Order: sequence, then structure tokens, then C-alpha cells
Amino acid sequence: MELFAFVETIMNWAAQERALTALIIGLIGAAILSGVINVGAMAVVWLERKVLGDVQSRFGPNRTGSRWGILQLGADAIKLFTKEDIIPKGADKQVYVWAPIVASISTMLVAAAIPFGALRINGVDYPLVVANMDISAFYVEAVLSIMVVAAFMAGFSSYNKYSLLGAFRGMARMISYEVPMGVCVIGVALMAHSLNLVDIVESQVVWYAFAQPIGFVVFTIALITDLGRMPFDQSEAEEELVAGYVTEYGGIRWGLLYFQEYISMVLGSILLVLLFLGGWRGPSIPVITIFSPMIWFLMKVIIVLVFLVWLRASVMRFRIDQVTDLGWKWMLPLSLVNLAWAVLVGLYLA
Amino acid sequence: MTGEPLAVEYYIPLIMFLVMGAIVPIAALAAVKIISPLKPNRRKKSIYEGGLSPVRDARIQFNVQYYLFAIVFVIFDVEVLFLYPWIYVYASEIMNRFVLLGFLNMAVVEMVLFIAVLLLGLLYAIKKEALRWV
Repeated sequence: MELFAFVETIMNWAAQERALTALIIGLIGAAILSGVINVGAMAVVWLERKVLGDVQSRFGPNRTGSRWGILQLGADAIKLFTKEDIIPKGADKQVYVWAPIVASISTMLVAAAIPFGALRINGVDYPLVVANMDISAFYVEAVLSIMVVAAFMAGFSSYNKYSLLGAFRGMARMISYEVPMGVCVIGVALMAHSLNLVDIVESQVVWYAFAQPIGFVVFTIALITDLGRMPFDQSEAEEELVAGYVTEYGGIRWGLLYFQEYISMVLGSILLVLLFLGGWRGPSIPVITIFSPMIWFLMKVIIVLVFLVWLRASVMRFRIDQVTDLGWKWMLPLSLVNLAWAVLVGLYLA
Repeated sequence: MTGEPLAVEYYIPLIMFLVMGAIVPIAALAAVKIISPLKPNRRKKSIYEGGLSPVRDARIQFNVQYYLFAIVFVIFDVEVLFLYPWIYVYASEIMNRFVLLGFLNMAVVEMVLFIAVLLLGLLYAIKKEALRWV
């Protein structure tokens, strides 16, 4: 009976032409955001190559486009699009083909609920978010881990030992850090009294990075692990596993998988800024008051991104057993300590 | 559009995002099908394994270790799932009526007990070396 009542509600509501409006909003938002995150990820690939070059005392891309190498990614894209599209013999073809598509769907679904900054009009911040649902923090955390499923599909379907080992490692890594990450989000939501990302940002008079330092550290580490960035990229450790789960991928299929990783890196950095670094909060800048939240937000995101690249350039990769050990024996208890801290602060200061 | 948006309304745009997420890679794959040459042969389609021909089946068995991790993960993920609705219970007015010793919120007491039981389980798993990589 509950189900019938639910269906009836939906039917009644669709009759009011709101469904159409919501769908059109969704279409426009999806079109704009897919452009924004793709361009953003391109910028991040370029940034990573430039920063890595600087760290290693070389130039990085400096031929295509001006001496900054801005057109390097365009050249790479042309190369990927004109490469032969080979599916290896023995691969599970359906799963092999669907892996990049699943990865793309997962990043798009995350982008739907994440606020990309805000505009300040008459002293009020209007967040730029398509699906501003009540539980967006929970939703984002849930959808962010679909990326690992795509990686597992890619590794499992390739019929290659390196790929399979990479997929197993990716799964074990995700499993070990998903719980601490979730508990840290709960700590933040507890202080904000809401699971909505916009409410969480607006409640940060003091950044949660300062209010919950342990949670901030644990969440950052768990996020890096979830994204498969350098100290935790055991699933594609090139010295041991060639390229991990993407070993058998080539041409545009590889390009898609690789690109999705960078998109989720951008989205993950945005999530970190929203949850712990005060999002777009910041003093108004005269003359361009309307864009001032946007400027603060972008500045923080870029700092986090550069930090991630810097980490890749300077920290060595852990072994997989060290990673799981760290997850279960340190991160999980520490995240619970952080939760207890959040509860205590909530009880005595509120 | 009149009145406050319903909760369902926020989920409708997700359909468009799902479709768009699928369209972009499918379009890219279609473009490649048109642009790129396709002359596969046996060598090109073979599996990479250090430059030699692959030895035995590539569908190797997974380490039993992963299975143990998965079991512990399921237990703790359920814990996290219980914690999410608990945030709302904790903040609600009803819970403030049930206080222990004048200041302890009953919701907190219950969750502390729940987590303590699970932590005992984790300690047991660590003690039994279930989480040690072999």
C-alpha cells in the first residue's frame, strides 16, 4: 500500500507540469556542468604536468600552444581520437565497453549534487547547484564510490593478470577507507545539524578543519585513497602492475577512464573544500562583490589540487598491506574519536 | 511552478545527469569508430604480459584476505548507515526529553553502546589477525 501511495503522489505531482520544468532544469544543468567539469579536468591535467615538471626541474609541456603548452591537451585528444580501437582477445566485451561509461555516469551524478561556488547578491549567497537535496553529503559520498566499481569492471573484464590484481587492490583500498570517510562526514553533519552541502557550508563560521582537526586529516587521507592518488595508487602502480586496471585499455577508451580520474579528483577537492575549508565563505571583495564567493571558492579548490599534485611528486607509494593496516587500525578508530569529539562539542557548546 | 518544491523534485534532474553521463563517452566512442582506422590482427589483439605470450588463465583466484576485509567492511558500513539517520534523531527535540544524569542525551548513550560493541568486534578481528595481510 505504501508503494501505491508513493506512485500516486508522483503521478499527481507530474500532472502539475513540474516534472517537465525539473527535467528541463536538469538538462540545462547537465549540459553546462558536463562542459565545466571536462574543461576543469583538462586544466587539472595541464596543471599537474606543469607542477610535476617544476618539481622535477624540467619544463613540462612547452611546445604546443605558447611556451606554456596550453594546447598540449588538444593535441593529446586528437591523438586519442585517431588511434585504433582494439578490444583484446578473451576480454569480456560487454563489461569492457561499459567500464568507461559507468565511470562517466558516476562522475556526472556526483557533479549534479555538488555546489560549484555561489554568487553574492545583496549580501545573500546563492549557491550554484542543480540538485540541492536534503541529503546531498550522503548522496555524494555514495555516488563517489561507483568510480571503484568502474575500475573493477575494467580490471576484471580485461583478461589480464595485471589488470585483475589492480582491480582487487582498488577494491580492498576503497573498502578500507570508505568507513572512516563516512564517519568523518557524519562528524561534520553533526556539527552543522544537516546533511545538505549548502547548509554545511553556511554553518561554517569556524572552518570544520579547525573545529574537527582529526576529522579533517582522516577525511583528506581517505579522500586521496578513494581517488587513487599517489601515496595510495596501488591499483595502478606502474612499477609492479604496468598500468593496473587500465593495462589493456588503449586509445579513447583509456582516455575516457584516465579523464574520469581527473574529473573525480576535481570533484573530490571541491568536496573537501565544502566540508572542511569553509566552501565559498569569505569577506566580500569591493567592486566585484557578486563574484567574491566564487573567487574564494576557486582559490581554495586550486590550493587543494596543487597540494594533491605536490603530494604525488614527493611521497612514495605505500604497500597494499600498509594501506589496509592504516585504514583499519588507525583511520577507523581515529574517525570514531573525531565523532566523539563532534558529539561532545555539540553537547556542550550548542 | 508554485509553492515550495517537493523533495522528489530535486531527484528529477539526476535522470538528465545520468543520461548525459552516458551520452558523452558513447559519442566519443562513435566518433572514434568513424575517424580511426581499424585493422586488427592476432598480435594486436593479444593480451599484454611482459612482452611474452600469456601463461595460463588470467582469471586468477583472489586472495582470501580480500574476503575477510569485505566481511568486516559490510559490518562497519552498516554501522555508518545507522549513523546517518541518527544525526537527525540526535538533533531532534524528542531526544532532548530523555536525558541521563541531567546532561547525557539518550541518543548519544545508545550510539556509544552500539559503536562499543562494533569496536569490540574490530579488536577481536585484529587480535585474531584476520586483518593482517598474509
